Amino acid sequence: MNKFCFMIAAVATALVTACAGSSSPTSVTTASTARGTLSTNPPFRIASLSAPAFQAALSASASGSQLLQISGAPVCGVDFYYLKFWTVGGANEPTQSSGALMVPTGPAPTCSGARPIVEYAHGTNTDKTLNIADLTKSSNTEGALIAAMFAAQGYIVVAPNYAGYDISTLGYHPYLNAVQQSGEMIDILTAARTALPKTQTSSTSDNGKLFLTGYSQGGYVAMATQKAMQTAQQPVTAAAPMSGPYALEAFGDALFFGGVDLGATVFAPLLTTSYQHAYGNIYAATTDIYSATYAAGIDTLLPNTNSIDYIFANNLLPLTAAFNIMTPTVTLPPSLPNSAQLSALLTGLLAEPSNAKDPRTPLFDLGFGTPYLINNDYRVSYALDAATNVDGAIPNPGTGQSAPGLPLAATAPTQTFRLALYKNDLRNGGWTPASPTLLCGGMNDPTVFYPLNTSVIQGFWAALQPSLFAPGGLVQVLDVNAPTNGVASATDPYAQIEAAFQTTQANLFLQLTAPAPAGAGLTAAAAQQQLTQNYHAAVAPFCTLAARSFFTKILGG
Amino acid sequence: MTNPKKLAVRIFSAIAVLLAVVALPALAEDNSSTYENSLRLGLYAVFYHSTADDLTGPYVPPASATSPGVNFKAEDVKTLYLAYVRRLSPHFETELALGLPPLTKTEGKGPATLGSVPYNGQVISTARWFAPTLLLNYKFRDESAQLRPFVGIGVNYTSFYDRNSTAAGNAASGGPTKVSLPSSVGPAATVGLSYRAAEHWNLYASYSITQVKTKLTANTAGVIRTSHISFGPQALVISAGYSF
Repeated sequence: MNKFCFMIAAVATALVTACAGSSSPTSVTTASTARGTLSTNPPFRIASLSAPAFQAALSASASGSQLLQISGAPVCGVDFYYLKFWTVGGANEPTQSSGALMVPTGPAPTCSGARPIVEYAHGTNTDKTLNIADLTKSSNTEGALIAAMFAAQGYIVVAPNYAGYDISTLGYHPYLNAVQQSGEMIDILTAARTALPKTQTSSTSDNGKLFLTGYSQGGYVAMATQKAMQTAQQPVTAAAPMSGPYALEAFGDALFFGGVDLGATVFAPLLTTSYQHAYGNIYAATTDIYSATYAAGIDTLLPNTNSIDYIFANNLLPLTAAFNIMTPTVTLPPSLPNSAQLSALLTGLLAEPSNAKDPRTPLFDLGFGTPYLINNDYRVSYALDAATNVDGAIPNPGTGQSAPGLPLAATAPTQTFRLALYKNDLRNGGWTPASPTLLCGGMNDPTVFYPLNTSVIQGFWAALQPSLFAPGGLVQVLDVNAPTNGVASATDPYAQIEAAFQTTQANLFLQLTAPAPAGAGLTAAAAQQQLTQNYHAAVAPFCTLAARSFFTKILGG
Repeated sequence: MTNPKKLAVRIFSAIAVLLAVVALPALAEDNSSTYENSLRLGLYAVFYHSTADDLTGPYVPPASATSPGVNFKAEDVKTLYLAYVRRLSPHFETELALGLPPLTKTEGKGPATLGSVPYNGQVISTARWFAPTLLLNYKFRDESAQLRPFVGIGVNYTSFYDRNSTAAGNAASGGPTKVSLPSSVGPAATVGLSYRAAEHWNLYASYSITQVKTKLTANTAGVIRTSHISFGPQALVISAGYSF
């Protein structure tokens, strides 16, 4: 053989050997798009923090320090895994979604071995990039809350980011769609249970106990999940829905009648987009509902990669003005029965709230302005349905009387958006919880009205099964604003939490009104306004603490 | 815009290859009193002198006033040196140098921990690399001289394989991690001394420098992080050669 050829052959052989060399394995990416499939297994671990490191990380910020005061110091370290899994959208279209699996770690006996799962549903979030597993983002306050409150105390935490967020290419979020959102909760739970034995924290395992909770939108999702799992005969150990819009039809009716909640201009487009994708009949064009100022592109506006401040600053949504300050003078077609009477009733109902005696009037007045979000014509079409096919939970607009038994609308609504709310109203199906349930919220909540949601569900369940609320019954209700003497008692196990919330609010008021530089130097009215604006968020850690206390008691702790 | 340094490296590499190819027929002479071929075997001590950009990608803590960026370095290795050398003329020879692919360990360099996972000083990955170097050497002094210094230039090809992220590396990265390091072609240069010990036998000592540039891509459960790495491996070779 020619010597050069030998040399080339030697090099070639060596190269082939080199190219054939293997490299270490990574996670398996599953091709299946079946619901509940974990896309990448083992999942990616974003961070691993020991209990002291987690405590130090929280202590480094003011909000983290406040959280620690409520949650207590971490007992366990936490491993934060990023789950990617398959679910469906609001029209049953397959989509990948993502979320968190937080696993307790560390030497304390409650931090490894078989542990209970807390599944948490997050509140309304306009940030499309939301990843609740990623605590490196300071905006991820709910991730920090559930990590400190549950994972660092020995609970395995599972929390979806929701379809339409993060890596999901769905293009919209199936907001308050009971079937989709409960289904996604079940799907991520399946995926998390697949992932858990494969993680780097496999010494912590699932003990089969499942607690469902969530705040605001997530309170709704937690309750919808409890209902769906109960229907599917899947075990739920207990649930603690918090500050959720459970009675959607009643909430919608109150809104369209003029009881505009803080946040309505954000909730409205999320809802109409969600239900349009699910049912296809909410609008033919966005201008059917929305004023020309905002209609263009509103169906793809939320969630958004731009901040909500950017969206308000660029007038893509009004800050609070859901409705036209020039309220409609209703003239219904004479062909309608009681046309003139009904027209007069609606004209009165839809006038801007001006009842000086109602403390909520200043809040409701913020819901009216120019430019406004929702057309008067659309408001009238909704209100006509609401006034003629009355939701049992709100006083009959004609008589001012509440219906007995607190049902939903007597017959299915005819207005398509109201029908969508009716379908997703958690009173639907006439169910009561079969596992222990804590309903927590704050009576003064300006964002998700407590009387229209928590009290309505409480009343609805009591009407169906009063024994649920008896001593030793399955359901407890906690209003963090409830009068309390600050002493935990057999009759009010949450008295200390109520007192802590109220003291915190009172101290904040003092701090806001104290003269500068020690305080913010605000007037009492301005300070109160700020407390009102922050109220909905302020309740969250206290209700979450109550939820943990409730779960721990059920576990026998 | 072309990086002038890159361009220089390319031109340098191209000239080296050209010289090697052109020199072969031009400089080859039939001289029955010398041996045309030589095989060498010895010790290859490699000092990597690696420099890398801080790792970038999702969930990698950036460098800050209190914490350095996430970086790494290659541990030095010793391995077996193999070479085939062909005489081209009394003063020119071409050398194909190969090392028995060494297991190179990469150590974490930067913050003491990532979260609570130890990082700095941990062996985070291992790789073997096959790095043949083709050199054109110029040998000084007469062929009959017992001691002959030489210098050489050439081209190095480096291919990485058997890339493994260690358990410590997986813990730091966030899970089982696939490491990709594309092959590199770069210039090489050497200086050395040969000593004729017997009729067929020579002893050699040389010092060579190569330039290896690659881009590290780490895939951890679909999360991709990257870094550009430059090695300037400097190798000390002590070898014995048999000529025939």
